[in-house]
Amino acid sequence: MSRPLLALYRLDRTKLHELSAKLRELLARDDRAAIAALLGLGEELARRLSAERWAVGLMLRPDEDPQASPIFASLRRVAKRASLEHVWTSESPALEGRLRAYDVLREESDIADAIDRLLDAARLPWFLQRPGGTGGWLGNDHRETLAKRMEQLGPALPDEVNAFVEALGGMDGDALVHDRL
Amino acid sequence: MLPVGFFDKAKAVFGLQKDAHAAKSGPAPRGERTDARKNKAGRPPLPEVSGAASATIEDVLTARAAGSFDEARAILAAIDKGQGLRTVLRAAAALEAHDEEEVTKLLPLVKKDSPAWQLRLQVAAALDAGPGRDELVQRAVKLGAPGWSVAWLRALSSDGDEQRAGLVDLLFEDAALARTVASRDLGFVDIKADNDAIRRYAAFAHGRDVIRRFGASHVVALLGRVDAPSP
Repeated sequence: MSRPLLALYRLDRTKLHELSAKLRELLARDDRAAIAALLGLGEELARRLSAERWAVGLMLRPDEDPQASPIFASLRRVAKRASLEHVWTSESPALEGRLRAYDVLREESDIADAIDRLLDAARLPWFLQRPGGTGGWLGNDHRETLAKRMEQLGPALPDEVNAFVEALGGMDGDALVHDRL
Repeated sequence: MLPVGFFDKAKAVFGLQKDAHAAKSGPAPRGERTDARKNKAGRPPLPEVSGAASATIEDVLTARAAGSFDEARAILAAIDKGQGLRTVLRAAAALEAHDEEEVTKLLPLVKKDSPAWQLRLQVAAALDAGPGRDELVQRAVKLGAPGWSVAWLRALSSDGDEQRAGLVDLLFEDAALARTVASRDLGFVDIKADNDAIRRYAAFAHGRDVIRRFGASHVVALLGRVDAPSP
């Protein structure tokens, strides 16, 4: 099994918030037809949703649950289409480990803190969190600052980290990283 | 082999074993001197308790269930560490027994209980739906109750629509806790409790369950005193 690769996206926070708010409202009303339409579910998946006591019950199941898994995939697909634009994908499975543990980065507390926030999945909406996965986001200002600070350390950093810095500094707007979208 | 039956344990807790007198001569737990305790109202002192170190809130609840309210108070006095749920229950039991002297002594400790919103929500969770419960929730929110805690309470509502809306709120506030509550409190068999949330769940749910068994109305009355405006 190959290790997943970190990808970088431009995040439209407003769009993601709108999707999240819409889903929350429909789940609270238990409007399954509207949820199925929002997620673009086919007939079979819409039937699964309607067979539940409440739609939210399905959303609380484990990521790998065979009944819920395709619905989570649809939800992530819709979220991705609505609010994320792919910028770059690392070629190196070692990138996450470098970001989390490379001593040159860890010795700079401001850089380490920003990286940890960028890789903190708890800051993502629940439907973008995946068991064992990595993800997180940074606002535009913090992204720019992090990219500049890491660039200053460039000569001391491995190639896969420098490629990440180049992509992070070269994009605009808020950044989201994820390895399983 | 040591005696381990219920009555042996009860004897040990209530100081009824042969060596109870010897045990009495040991140090009193944290400032408690029940033998020297004076009561302005002429109330007889609470029963003395030995084996206090091994007593638990469960022993308190067992004694109350058996109608032994004085023994329950004595155990609370022995195991109280001056903060947390034990102090709250001790004060509530004193209020129930109209022991104003002890209530006055304990109220400042209950007022200091932190976070202040937690006790109010635990008591609210132990109550049936109604104005009393709603008022406690409002007080908890004013005291800074986080969104997940209020959502959890809604998810425990006996009203189906309210319960579902609370569960949805909880999913968006704290998905790990939502899974744990759905699994443990709401009987969703296909949902797994999340290990990341079990510690928080246990801390809150333990207080709620103990207060419910103790008698939530007594703790409500105590909170009425705690939250009453100063004269």
